[in-house]
Amino acid sequence: MTDQALLLPQEEKQFSLAKDAFIRLVANRLAIVGMVLVVFLFFVAIFGPYLTPYDFLSQDLMSRNQAPSWLHWFGTDDLGRDIMSRVIYGSRTAVIVGFSTVSFSLVIGIFLGALGGYFGGKIDAFIVWLIDITMSIPSLLLVIVINVSLKPPLVNWMDAQYVATGNQIYRNTIWVDFVLVFGSLALIKWPKAARIIRGQILSIRNKNYVVAAEALGVPTSRIVRRYVIPNAIGPIIVYISAALGEAMVLESSFSFLGVGVRPPIPSWGNMISDGLRIWQMYPHVLAAPAAVLAIVTIAFSFLGDGLNDALNPRQWK
Amino acid sequence: MTKLLEVNNLHTRFKVRNGYLHAVNGVSFSLDKGEMLGVVGESGCGKSVSMMSLIRLLPPAAQITEGEVFIDGEDITNASVSRVNAIRGSKVGMIFQDPMTSLNPFMKIGDQIIEGIVYHKKIARADALSQAAKYLKMVGISNAEHRLGEYPHQLSGGMRQRVMIAMALLNEPSLVIADEPTTALDVTIQAQIVELVKGLREKLNMSIIWITHDLSLLAGMVDRIMVMYGGYIVEEAVIDDIYKSPLHPYTIGLLKSIPSLKTEAGSRLPSIPGAPPNLFTPPTGCPFSPRCTYKVDRCQSEVPALAAVPGAGGDRPHRVACWVDMRGRGVEQ
Repeated sequence: MTDQALLLPQEEKQFSLAKDAFIRLVANRLAIVGMVLVVFLFFVAIFGPYLTPYDFLSQDLMSRNQAPSWLHWFGTDDLGRDIMSRVIYGSRTAVIVGFSTVSFSLVIGIFLGALGGYFGGKIDAFIVWLIDITMSIPSLLLVIVINVSLKPPLVNWMDAQYVATGNQIYRNTIWVDFVLVFGSLALIKWPKAARIIRGQILSIRNKNYVVAAEALGVPTSRIVRRYVIPNAIGPIIVYISAALGEAMVLESSFSFLGVGVRPPIPSWGNMISDGLRIWQMYPHVLAAPAAVLAIVTIAFSFLGDGLNDALNPRQWK
Repeated sequence: MTKLLEVNNLHTRFKVRNGYLHAVNGVSFSLDKGEMLGVVGESGCGKSVSMMSLIRLLPPAAQITEGEVFIDGEDITNASVSRVNAIRGSKVGMIFQDPMTSLNPFMKIGDQIIEGIVYHKKIARADALSQAAKYLKMVGISNAEHRLGEYPHQLSGGMRQRVMIAMALLNEPSLVIADEPTTALDVTIQAQIVELVKGLREKLNMSIIWITHDLSLLAGMVDRIMVMYGGYIVEEAVIDDIYKSPLHPYTIGLLKSIPSLKTEAGSRLPSIPGAPPNLFTPPTGCPFSPRCTYKVDRCQSEVPALAAVPGAGGDRPHRVACWVDMRGRGVEQ
């Protein structure tokens, strides 16, 4: 038998890292539950308008506060709007805010974290200082301040532009809500990403296996690709999963308090807030968005835990 | 014999908060082809840093300020980064202290072993893997083909150290630097690894520098021993000379503190009083003088040069850095 033949043992197949990780992930039941729910959420958010016969704004005052039925699966609210359509549209709101917040904070976080971790010294000290300052800002207060100070002038300006130019772009001020909410969230959420990336790079750069690879004469670009990134990617993926869930919950809390996305644009948060007024008589108005929010939050943490285990080879059995 | 390695007056220092830490202060030695040199000293005496300086494998804070290193006649201290990269792994292999953390947890054993050879020799992955399997068998890993597909956490400490050795040897380097390769292993595994390296050395005819703080481990293994203290070489001689007629008070102290079978139960082991020197503000004069029981006035003002002792050592010079003539005053062994 040649060495070649010996090298490919038939009894046990070998997989790449990503495939290995995927196999571990699939073996974890809770993670799969989380993953299915998260995928379903994205699917609903993207294809929402095609999934329901009702418009989320159309009112039917003849059928107000109806209990769930075959016609309205989640019932109707106090203006006779279909709750399921509104929940589905609320998932769009949540996903848009979640994605933009997380991608924005990842970009800032990776840039600043890598800068600090790699160069160290004064640059690092400055970035750590920036992180500490930003982390000390209470997110709710910042959003309220922005709502009170920045939003009215912006809306007034847009109204004035509409009156002056008649351009439809200025007509719709809903996007101001989105931009302000995710913008302020991103501004205070990046330090966590920066911290994770900085810490990863700092610790991996000094790991013995990196020194051992250097001693073999492996070039730096390859060390970064094969040694630093694979060892750093796990916590980052877990961060993304957790941060998406967190951003969605925050969007809902802000909307609940009236400083986020405002009616008539549905958000789970403002739907819960609406439902609170009448839940004693019509519990389904509150139950539907609240249950969906709870399920989504749990789904993201299941998925995050599963990813954490799957991407860490030291926990493999 | 031809010289494989030549080091002249090497100085390495670390930049620290407000000043410099002088880790290596003028180290000069040479190594023949196929020779095995033991480097002994306590923690922080500069033994690892001086050997790492040979291939410029130093943290960013460290810098070589003076001296030159020649490997196979090639100047390393002034070579380009890519040239040093080419020498690492191909001419010089490294075995590290802690096998538990020296393997990338995200790479399979096989992929990791062949990193160096694929890069240096530009051979196909499959060929490299069959080569790796051969070396794994050579270092005593059974079922080597199967092991290539496993991750580091699936291997025991002793096996990982064998993998590290195979990794260092795969490029058939002419010099292997082993930085305390057995410190993290238990005694039985330690003995196995020592025997393994001895056997491989004869088989592959390479030079080895074995760094350790365990003087007794080197007996019966190395040709020559170099004793380091405070960033200086204090004594260097063939192994018999070191054990039978040590000429530096520090070496004498080290040898005295090895427990022997004759040591009475319950009696205190001899030790060297004091603490290792602070390399941040090194003492003027001989670095060992604050702890030395033989010291004379000159020891505190002038650093003794490492010089061959006339009449000692035979064909290899017995070099020692001491103002006091210790001949006849050492241990009686």
